[in-house]
Amino acid sequence: MHRILIAILAVLTLIPVAGRAQDLQTILQLHTEEVENPGRRSVGVVIEDLIAARLPAVPVFLTHWQDREIVLNAEDGQFYALVDEDGDTATIRNLDTGDESEVAGDSLTEVRPNGGVRREIAAALVRFQLSDENPANRRAALDAIARRPDADQIAPLTASIEDEQDAAIRADKDRLLNILTARYGETTEARVEAIERLGGSITSDARAALSQILEAEDRVSAEAPDGNIAQVYTPGDQISRTEAYGRLVDAELAPAPVSGGAIRDALIANIDGGMVLDIPVELLDTDAQRRAAYDRLAQAGRVPPFVTQDRIDAALDSHSFYAVYEEEDAAVTDAARATLRSVETQVSLNQTADLALDAISLASIYFLAAIGLAITFGVMGVINMAHGEFIMMGAYTGYVVQQIVPDYTWSLIIALPLAFVVAGAAGIAMERLIIRHLYHRPLETLLATFGVSIALQQLAKNIFGTQARPLTSPDWLSGQMVINELVSISYIRIAIFVLAGLFLALLLFILKRTRLGLEVRAVTQNPGMAASMGIDPDRINMATFGLGSGIAGIAGVAIGLYAQVTSEMGANYIVQSFMTVVVGGVGNVWGTLAGASLIGVLQKGIESLNPSNTLAAQTYMILFIIIFIQFRPRGIVALKGRAAGA
Amino acid sequence: MTDATLALPSRTPPVRQTSTMVFLASLAVFAVIVTILAQQGVISTSFVKTLGKTLCLCLAAVAMDVVWGYTGILSLGHMAFFGLGGYAIGMWLMYARTEALVAPGLAAQPIPPTPSELQDAIGSQIFGVVGSSDFPLIWMFADSLFLQMAMVVLVPGVLALVFGWLAFRSRVTGVYLSILTQAMTLALALYLFQNDSGLRGNNGLSGLQNIPGFEDAPQSAISLAFFWASAVALALGYLLFAWVVSGKMGSVLRAVRDDEARVRFLGYHVESFKLFAFVLTAVVTGIAGALYYPQAGIINPAEIAPIASIYLAVWVAIGGRGRLYGAAIGAAFVSLLSSWFTGGGAPDIDLGVYTVRWTDWWLVLLGLSFVAVTLFAPKGIGGLVDLLTEKRRPERQGDYGPDKGAKRSEEGVE
Amino acid sequence: MSIRTALLSTALATMAVPALAQDADCPIKVGILHSLSGTMAISETTLKDVMLMLIEQQNEAGGLLGCEIEAVVVDPASDWPLFAEKARELLTVNEVDVIFGSWTSVSRKSVLPVLEELNGLMFYPVQYEGEESSKNVFYTGAAPNQQAIPAVDYFMEELGVEKFALLGTDYVYPRTTNQILEQYLKDQGIPEEDIFVNYTPFGHSDWSTIVSDVIELGSDGSLVGVISTINGDANVGFYKELAAQDVSADDIPVVAFSVGEEELSGLDTSNLVGHLAAWNYFQSADTPENEEFIAAWHEFIGNEDRVTNDPMEAHYIGFNMWVNAVEEAGTTDVDAVREAMWGQEHPNLTGGTAVMNPNHHLSKPVLIGEIQDDGQFDIISETEEVPGDAWTDFLPDSAVLTSDWAELDCGMYNTETETCVQQTSNY
Repeated sequence: MHRILIAILAVLTLIPVAGRAQDLQTILQLHTEEVENPGRRSVGVVIEDLIAARLPAVPVFLTHWQDREIVLNAEDGQFYALVDEDGDTATIRNLDTGDESEVAGDSLTEVRPNGGVRREIAAALVRFQLSDENPANRRAALDAIARRPDADQIAPLTASIEDEQDAAIRADKDRLLNILTARYGETTEARVEAIERLGGSITSDARAALSQILEAEDRVSAEAPDGNIAQVYTPGDQISRTEAYGRLVDAELAPAPVSGGAIRDALIANIDGGMVLDIPVELLDTDAQRRAAYDRLAQAGRVPPFVTQDRIDAALDSHSFYAVYEEEDAAVTDAARATLRSVETQVSLNQTADLALDAISLASIYFLAAIGLAITFGVMGVINMAHGEFIMMGAYTGYVVQQIVPDYTWSLIIALPLAFVVAGAAGIAMERLIIRHLYHRPLETLLATFGVSIALQQLAKNIFGTQARPLTSPDWLSGQMVINELVSISYIRIAIFVLAGLFLALLLFILKRTRLGLEVRAVTQNPGMAASMGIDPDRINMATFGLGSGIAGIAGVAIGLYAQVTSEMGANYIVQSFMTVVVGGVGNVWGTLAGASLIGVLQKGIESLNPSNTLAAQTYMILFIIIFIQFRPRGIVALKGRAAGA
Repeated sequence: MTDATLALPSRTPPVRQTSTMVFLASLAVFAVIVTILAQQGVISTSFVKTLGKTLCLCLAAVAMDVVWGYTGILSLGHMAFFGLGGYAIGMWLMYARTEALVAPGLAAQPIPPTPSELQDAIGSQIFGVVGSSDFPLIWMFADSLFLQMAMVVLVPGVLALVFGWLAFRSRVTGVYLSILTQAMTLALALYLFQNDSGLRGNNGLSGLQNIPGFEDAPQSAISLAFFWASAVALALGYLLFAWVVSGKMGSVLRAVRDDEARVRFLGYHVESFKLFAFVLTAVVTGIAGALYYPQAGIINPAEIAPIASIYLAVWVAIGGRGRLYGAAIGAAFVSLLSSWFTGGGAPDIDLGVYTVRWTDWWLVLLGLSFVAVTLFAPKGIGGLVDLLTEKRRPERQGDYGPDKGAKRSEEGVE
Repeated sequence: MSIRTALLSTALATMAVPALAQDADCPIKVGILHSLSGTMAISETTLKDVMLMLIEQQNEAGGLLGCEIEAVVVDPASDWPLFAEKARELLTVNEVDVIFGSWTSVSRKSVLPVLEELNGLMFYPVQYEGEESSKNVFYTGAAPNQQAIPAVDYFMEELGVEKFALLGTDYVYPRTTNQILEQYLKDQGIPEEDIFVNYTPFGHSDWSTIVSDVIELGSDGSLVGVISTINGDANVGFYKELAAQDVSADDIPVVAFSVGEEELSGLDTSNLVGHLAAWNYFQSADTPENEEFIAAWHEFIGNEDRVTNDPMEAHYIGFNMWVNAVEEAGTTDVDAVREAMWGQEHPNLTGGTAVMNPNHHLSKPVLIGEIQDDGQFDIISETEEVPGDAWTDFLPDSAVLTSDWAELDCGMYNTETETCVQQTSNY
């Protein structure tokens, strides 16, 4: 791909410019140090020189440089493009002549410009790339402009629009030009028109352009406000009186109030033989005493007096507080303000939609993690504390499969059913060996399964180590679906959502449409009656437990794909899962769905109120659940009638 | 075992119960022996501390036994009260220690400090390590030992009262209640993990072994003093609970455990009895925590993570529910064994292909033995005492018949 | 090596006498206080191994003061109160001459009072939040000015980052570091609204909203950089989410202070390539000393794939300085060794020389590395040696404080009032 690009660039810039005898290497040699170890602030000189040389090889070099494909050959001290590296030998190309040669790999030093330098190079490349034949390069140029809009870019951008064939890129160019015009246009009319065209656009660069136009600066002055005024502050109204006075002090228009520290320092400075004036130092151990002493000092004229409330009031009255737009043209700022306001509603709507997507995805994770628990808890009335470890087991199954089958897609296809089998088998084994004997002692089941849980957790640590293990998702699950600039969701989360939906449907089908489901429901509602109707509760219990644990295993694979696989991952989900089940209502698939949705939405909602503290969100969510259970102790979807007493 | 302890006709004063007397006597002998050995230098200060801490854990376990073994409430949140007790006393310990450090420096200044300056200086010392310097509101009483000691009792008590009242009032029982108590301790732990909680977040309160006013006393003396305090607290707590569970109150509590609905129909206000047991045990657990953490030296939110409370239940179950000495034995046995195994004390087993290192496998062993105890020896270690005294009652329950599910309600899942 | 337990030691131990080490009683005992089980085992076990290796090397080279060095390994099991207990055991029962140990800040704070009470000596090898200088601890890891500040400088100078997202796990190291950085950024003219701070619990996995918030921060076209003090496992989900949201290291560079070779060795690094980390040491450092160290490590551990990392270098420097100081002092007595420690010099594995300053912190160079797909770091920036600053200059309360055990005999000296605030540490 790079070869094509290089060839194209070479053709494009083939016409040599007269009057420039230098070749690329000569310029590079002038700046050896700077090319080899470029710095963001200092690289500009090199780039300027290169561009001024107008050599056809310059854009080629810049592209290679940006892609970190330039090497320094220690043998002749010259820079080359690295074409291919194969073991000890490497193929390099002289960018001036295009000749390729083979050299020993260890005589080459890779030139690795950092991200900041590469951004500078990208900006320099814009002029070469706007009309490039490769659409990807044109896009890169547009990205570079969007990242760093500049008045100089208007001319080349305008020139490149006419010849643009690709409709999508052309639209993007138009949009960018519009943004540039809004910010740097020559006439007020052109700018206002451009700004008005930005209405309805929620893209970030449009909003950024508007808010940059609207940048304002707070000012204080003794005169009436002046300039393109954004806002006038009235002390005690828009800003507090203390803050207003603070601004006066900062602007050195008023004396600072005497602080506690200043009083202390002044008193210490005036100690004379253990006395301040005629007050013994020992007495100055309260704030009131110190203020009194300071007042005495002030009266004696030895320290500046306290700033009285009257003085503060007078100072506030005699000054005006306001904000002034940096943009002087009122017509432009008015238009920008109106447009921004119209965009803001849309933006907040979209942000809510994005948050809702996050909440749904979190809810489907909770649903997947909890549904297995809900089945076993609902049908058998036992609490399975080892449920989290079945999730973990599923995730480790996925990890192990990935070690054996390197293709991520296939390994996922194998891992999902395998995780179901492994976790399901473990579940059945546990049911047969332990839980069966404890059906009449639910609290002891809780403790026995907890014993299993710590044993399994430690076992996983012993086998896989305490470090997180990778579970990598296939390529078609990476990336995200972008609905618009503000609303997007990663494919992996969509996959989890689909998985959760599948299992919801599958469970509903099993429970409502199959013989097994009928029997399960019968045992849930009245085990005694079910047994006397010829249903073997033992078999049902085993099947349910296997199903519930198996689903936990699949949940483990799903969770492992987007988060970490550790021996403690189950423990992280267990309390949440219990709460999902309890909040939703025991023994009902819809209840679990409701519980998961409530917790997911709630958690994201609380998080968005205080984005800087995720921990607090979790705490408040648990508190909410505790209170919620007080009012609906049987959950959102409670079983009614006799079944409720089971 | 459910009806094994039901039929106590009238109150026998706890001191006259054989088990109580034996327990208290052994405790006294143990404390004296430890003191003598420590004075002789046979056991180290750090081991005296370990023993003192174990006694505190025993007291918490005895309280847990009352609320679970006797009343049937499987609380998975009692270590929250333990931690709160520790935090309450820890606040005073930190405040007073820091005050003693800071005050001389401030007094040496040209002018004497104002109370607020003193407080600011202490605040920036205590909270400097977590990037703050102001005292949060909850430290209001930290300068008073008396008030903070009151907090040791009040904070766990009030939390238990509010939580219990809400939960019992809405008839949350059985596993639901267990999960709810677990959620409570998780919420509290998560809250305390935040730096903004005002209790130094993940760092917790540290340096608690330095007792203000006793700066010059060697730790060997302090550790013995705390050991004795713990022993006395355990003895008093044991007596208190023995008294509570022996009389009519004890009968009602056990009846609540065995069949809550029936007790309610008999006219008892079940909620009040449960609340009483819950709050009383919470307070005692808080006191145990207040004695524990000055010996441990540091308290941080990890101490009240849900796992800690589950371990408390494990101790009680292994020791034997429904008998107070069983809980104490279980706590002492398991926690000491645990530190022996994780401390690398147990010799590794070389299996040729694989070496079993106990630091790695101890938890597996503990988990599995716990399953085994639940399945095969529901009376725990305490059950051994029955074998010795041959007091085993005739098996009255037998098999439940084919319909095992029908007996589910018996442990309180309504 | 003997691992004694609480139970066994009761029978064997003698009365707890504060361990004022006598003149070189053979063998010289070195206590190793690193968790070998529990959550921190993964990081700390390696440090135990590196200490055993260093001691073995020293014994082969003839021991110390004519004595064999004996390692006393204990396992505090990632349990903070147990750190204090085990430290007391080491100092009073085993009577060790020096302790190398601790990883988390809370474990260090747990040990501090015991060290100061019994006048022990400990070397602490991990980067930490500063704001401390104990008479009895030598800090061989980085203080914030040796890791965080240079990394932020690199972000601003070299990458041109204009807005900062400070993401951390909610505990004291990220809290304090971020507070220092926030103040530093404000001093550098970054407005408050351009700094986004977020704390997540340990092992956090749901990063979608937070990453979206970070991206939103750059919606005005300015370049956002993430300063990550995210600890341990949570990093996996974080980098995965960045990749899932199509954010590359060019779009939003991340510099991490807690992601090193050891952490990367268990990860799929494809999502992380191009992101940065700041440390005082990378395994990829190209010096003969480092080559030798890595070779020795591989031979000792018997596994060519095991990586080396920053805290290992810290122990390497710390142990060698201690050995030299003991030889200089001619005794293992804590006070004599401490005095001999000031001004000790030892070559870094990354080149240059580390110097132990009288504030008990090292002068070390700061390196910034770019993560490569083989789990190693490409060193893209290296500074001169930076002296570790116990009290940061960027918080008003700490700016007036300084630490100098040689001249002032004080770890918390107020330069304004010219008084020693306190000799013991605030733990």
